[in-house]
Amino acid sequence: MSLLRLEALSKKFGDHWALKEIDFSIGQGEIIGLVGPNGAGKTTLFNLITGRHRSNSGRVFFAEEDITSCRPHEIHRLGISRTFQSSRPFAKMSALENVVVGCVFRAEFHLFTRATDIDTAKQLLELVGLSHKVVTPAGDLTLSEQRRLDLARALASQPRLLLLDEVVAGFSPLAVKQAVELVRRVRERGVTLFIIDHFLSLSLRVSDRLLALDHGEKVAEGSPQEVMRNREVIRAYLGMRYEDEQHGA
Amino acid sequence: MWTTVLVSGITLGSFYTLVALGFALIFGVTHTFNLAHGELLILAGYVAYWLWKSFGIPFLFTFPAAVLVALVVCLVLQRLFSLLREPMELNSIVVSFGVAVLLQNGMLFFFSGDYRLIRVPALHQGLHLQTIYLSYSQLTLLALSLLVIGLIYLLMRHTYLGKALRATIQNREAASLAGIDVGRMGVLAFSIGALLIGLAGPLYGSIHYLYPTAGLQATLLAITITIFAGVGRIRGLILGGWILALAESSAVVLLGASWREMVSAVMILTLLAIRPQGILGREQK
Amino acid sequence: MSKAKAKNQRVKQFHLTKVALALGLVLLLLLPVLSHYSDYVLQVFTHALLLATLALAWNILSVSGSISLGHAAFFGVGAYGSALLSLDLGVSPWVTIPLGGLLAAAVAMIMALLCLRLRSAYFALATLAFVEIPKVITDNWNGLTRGSLGLVGLPGLPSLRLGSYHFDISGSPTGSYYFVLCYGLVLLLLVAVIFRSNLGLALQAIREEEVAAEAVGIQVQQYRLLSLLLSGFFTGITGACYAHLVRYIEPGLVYGLHFSAIPMVFAICGGRFTILGPALAALVLYPLDQFIFHPLLPAGHEFLYGAVIILAILFMPSGFWGRLRKGHLVSIKTGSIE
Repeated sequence: MSLLRLEALSKKFGDHWALKEIDFSIGQGEIIGLVGPNGAGKTTLFNLITGRHRSNSGRVFFAEEDITSCRPHEIHRLGISRTFQSSRPFAKMSALENVVVGCVFRAEFHLFTRATDIDTAKQLLELVGLSHKVVTPAGDLTLSEQRRLDLARALASQPRLLLLDEVVAGFSPLAVKQAVELVRRVRERGVTLFIIDHFLSLSLRVSDRLLALDHGEKVAEGSPQEVMRNREVIRAYLGMRYEDEQHGA
Repeated sequence: MWTTVLVSGITLGSFYTLVALGFALIFGVTHTFNLAHGELLILAGYVAYWLWKSFGIPFLFTFPAAVLVALVVCLVLQRLFSLLREPMELNSIVVSFGVAVLLQNGMLFFFSGDYRLIRVPALHQGLHLQTIYLSYSQLTLLALSLLVIGLIYLLMRHTYLGKALRATIQNREAASLAGIDVGRMGVLAFSIGALLIGLAGPLYGSIHYLYPTAGLQATLLAITITIFAGVGRIRGLILGGWILALAESSAVVLLGASWREMVSAVMILTLLAIRPQGILGREQK
Repeated sequence: MSKAKAKNQRVKQFHLTKVALALGLVLLLLLPVLSHYSDYVLQVFTHALLLATLALAWNILSVSGSISLGHAAFFGVGAYGSALLSLDLGVSPWVTIPLGGLLAAAVAMIMALLCLRLRSAYFALATLAFVEIPKVITDNWNGLTRGSLGLVGLPGLPSLRLGSYHFDISGSPTGSYYFVLCYGLVLLLLVAVIFRSNLGLALQAIREEEVAAEAVGIQVQQYRLLSLLLSGFFTGITGACYAHLVRYIEPGLVYGLHFSAIPMVFAICGGRFTILGPALAALVLYPLDQFIFHPLLPAGHEFLYGAVIILAILFMPSGFWGRLRKGHLVSIKTGSIE
């Protein structure tokens, strides 16, 4: 049984098809890299899964439950968390409060924050290496710290599936290496990961499988080695027209 | 009776457009809302009133002074706005609101709360055209408004400066990349806005009582017409002005004079309900 | 300055402000005695407290990110609702005041349906327009509201009886003062609960990053609606209290700019992102306006509010109290000062 299954998922913005008939499934415990050049539709795919946009056709299944028309907060409660392409911390709230927010809004509503939620938040801050910034307003953190905070916040609800959008964008090689470690530790906690990484620095090193998109269409899926050797993937990234040159020349 | 409503709608409506034009221009170029717009209008009216009443200056010669005062205040406002941080639209609303309060209190101090009116006897006579009676006041409003609007239209369409303004309205970033100094366009927009307010203010003072808190109605009016027209079309502003004035006149006929104030409010809420993305909705951010 | 020294400074500052606040509270409690029961002083501070409650109530909405220029709609509806129910139906003000609040909340619901979807700047403009509707209706519905003449001779708040003790409220400036002070403290407590609870977390998250808030499970529209309803409700209650304390209301006044604008000015100048800021600004600025500027400039003394809001937005967007508090951010979750 797959954890996440996409069936013929399509999305149109105005006259432009952002995603066309995407079929894909992710198994429990996998790390999947979502790759492709700019404008391929990767973030749109995340937006469709999490209910931020409504798909034009196709369906999304989470543990075989149809979640296609669910709103983002419902998606969160079902156990899917995400981060965003540009980091979105709650700037005037402390780092701790940011992560606490991730824990609090699940099944039941409690008026006052429980000690267990605060403890969970503190543990997660430790996991991402932000224990020393517990009371710092999130807006005062560096970019790398903000991204790690986003990750901690996304993990706070103990999701089964975590969608990471360009989590290492702008990172130094050392920071990427630390991110690789972090991602592996997250997987050890039992979280399945779906990672957008158009620079490829992270996904090639951690992913079990890759899904490659270009212009809204799936062009390849499989192991990182297979996908990166795929002609169409190379063409999409580097713009070389092998086929055209062969035939036209 | 309905012909009177129609006539009133078109003459007053053209005037409303004149009032709204400055507001729309400033918003289009700088993406800021000037909630002190109405107060500026009243201030210009007060300046004209003061010169006319205290110094016996003929009505028409008060216009330059009104424009000058409006220009000074508008340029100060532009400087304040240039110090604002994001979110520009909301912050400009709050700051200009503060300026409006300052102006209201200033006018209260200098002119007291008494109702003032510039009575120009010549304007109270009129023409009879078959069954329609047109006062010279209405004719002046109509003629002056359309004249000035026409001049602005020509400016926007046929001068380099106007084209630069239109480019800035349509796409600030692109205009900047094309070499247009968008900061200076902002100053220009405020200046033209001041000119328009300076012309409209004395006219307003001749048809309406002036009192320090009268500005809000004028501001709501400008907001209504600007939202109706969307960005960058003078024709839309004219149509909006006519429709608003017609709606108001109809409301007065059907319900009574004191219901007039609600018309622009209802229109604003309706327009925003239909088009919740606001004025710049056409652009995709 | 070394880090440890800086931290020590902030801890000291934190404790100092606590002491100052406690002192301020004592002064407020003892004001009648301290002012030798001066009617004038008590009336000024009663009105200041009233404006403080309005600022606190306004801020409940602003925590969720929406700036309203039309809160006078709630004030006026609360005032007129309570006034008419007590005047025409003879119901006790103790009952009609909460009812006035509920009526205001109903109007808040209408505002929500019309305006809440709009982006912040357009929401503000829409609220500016929205006030005109209850105002013009009240002004014209002569049969119900006596129109623009207003309502005179409204029943005051009946005195409280405790055993053999008898507390005059509407009749006595001291009684009115303590009544509004109690209401203010209760509302302050409520606002503190809102801010410090998970509700406050939700509203602040919505204000900061609406999309991310939704992604962590917050039902954005419902929370925004709740904050608007609460804000409208308490503004209406204050309006109703006003009606029974002053015993005369008219549309131009209760729907006017004074009650729309000034609470917003206090909330922003004091500190939108804090609990106490709005109230403190009210208690400082209004008496300043009345005791100092009003005698100097009988006409136009309210320019003060225009000036401070411009200065605040340009130079101190988190408000005076907000700026002060930022220096010693108390993490409510860890309870420690950093």
